[in-house]
Amino acid sequence: MNQAVISCLHANLPAVEAVLKDIELQGITNITCLGDLVGYGPQPNEVIELIRDKEIPTCQGCWDEDVVDGLDACDCSYPSQLAEKRGHFAHQWTTDKLTTENKDYLANLPYSIRKDKCLFVHGSPNSQHEYLLPDMDAFAALERVENARAEILFCGHTHQPYIRELADGSIAVKIKNAVPKDTQEKEIQLPMRRIVNAGSVGEPRHGGTKATYVVYNDVTNEVKIREVEYDIELTCKAIIDAGLPPIFAWRLKNGFEFAEQAEDASHVCER
Amino acid sequence: MSQVCLISGSPGCGKTNWILNTFKNYSGNCGYLRLGGYSEINLEQAINSKIDFAFLKDQIPNLLDLSISNSISEKDKENILIIIEFPQFFTPKSQGINGVDLRIINELEKYNLQPNRYLHFGRDPELSIKDTLDFREIESISLDLQKHIWDPASLNTFWFELVNGAYGDVYRAKALMNLPDGRYILFNWIVSQQGSQYQTLNQVAPLNGRPERCSEIVIQGKNLNFESIKATIHNCLLNDAVLDHHQTSLRNSQLQTARR
Repeated sequence: MNQAVISCLHANLPAVEAVLKDIELQGITNITCLGDLVGYGPQPNEVIELIRDKEIPTCQGCWDEDVVDGLDACDCSYPSQLAEKRGHFAHQWTTDKLTTENKDYLANLPYSIRKDKCLFVHGSPNSQHEYLLPDMDAFAALERVENARAEILFCGHTHQPYIRELADGSIAVKIKNAVPKDTQEKEIQLPMRRIVNAGSVGEPRHGGTKATYVVYNDVTNEVKIREVEYDIELTCKAIIDAGLPPIFAWRLKNGFEFAEQAEDASHVCER
Repeated sequence: MSQVCLISGSPGCGKTNWILNTFKNYSGNCGYLRLGGYSEINLEQAINSKIDFAFLKDQIPNLLDLSISNSISEKDKENILIIIEFPQFFTPKSQGINGVDLRIINELEKYNLQPNRYLHFGRDPELSIKDTLDFREIESISLDLQKHIWDPASLNTFWFELVNGAYGDVYRAKALMNLPDGRYILFNWIVSQQGSQYQTLNQVAPLNGRPERCSEIVIQGKNLNFESIKATIHNCLLNDAVLDHHQTSLRNSQLQTARR
């Protein structure tokens, strides 16, 4: 059976509506959302209410967490002072706009959702803020999936969709006993694990402007990345009308996403 | 015997590079003066930027600044090559010295300078044409950024957005920027050329406070959103506390390297 996984909606209502329409046209009813319903975009309440009304199971994203709990003191991953100032502006704007009911909804979202052999998270099983990039160290990638006791780990956060297969993994353990003095060795073969990043509906960062999500068939194990066109002009107009910085509209329209992302995913603010 | 050469051309045509190479190939004293040019209808070209002199002085430390009246001694005047630069979009109507705008001649009299050559980019074959855009309508803005120091990553983002049209249609942008590690970088971009040119200048500021040297950005184009440009630049500049943090960290790092 096909199921859809969407992530990083970022308060971009036209993009969310277009993606949900595309999912509906394929006859898919099983949808999971990996969070970041809000942040940077102009329609945070509308997007939350749409997801809530459709009862789509949703994980809490980093923006959803920060909007509820306040900005992390200095756990930011902004790559520059300019990005940080823009991010803080968007954060404050979103916090001011959200209704109490919608804040409560975000506050009560789970960190992860498990469905059989699949685990759904926003960033990684460790944190909503951790980036699992497509080229991250294979050992670290395998560790994240294996420790989460999943065969397929669905994540978002990077805004770059990808499918990474971790095949022929094994764990070798060697123990030297003192008494009796001997060595024991064991090697455990691991079945193939996969990390699937759903990309972003509302803030694509794949070099184009189309919203992305993934379709997973839990019988054939096939995963497809889908790209969906939506009315960007509508979102850009809403950004301007909402009083958000026009640069957010410019970046989105040109496929540069609302915000910058550190090239180094391990970047932490040094200020 | 002094030579006084007047050079004009539109923004981005390669005046400054030509001047630098001419000075480098000259063995005697060198003097430089930049005039602002004159605004014509719909052509705001009168910005008298200090960037070019700061850049040339960095490359040729003995360069004399002719905008300071007492900068040339009688001895310096012997065998001096003086180049006077001014922006001009349109081709002069007459050849040679006769083509010089009378307002320029009058202004040069204040400096007691009389050109014996006049070359215009796009007209005189002696000048290699790097670029001569046919400007019909242009806005110019400049910001004095002296004592300001940029967050390097923010500068990178701002420049990318600027030259890609986020703040209006930019035809030309030129800037001299300070970085927290003391570097002094010339940024240069023109719409018809591929990519920006960046040059780290020879001067390095000490890791202590804010340098006094010239820092400025000049932008020319159409429908420029000056307020948005100013606001974005403001968000890219380091405040005293952050600058101190950066500089302390860099000083400590240098000390550790020196001890090894």
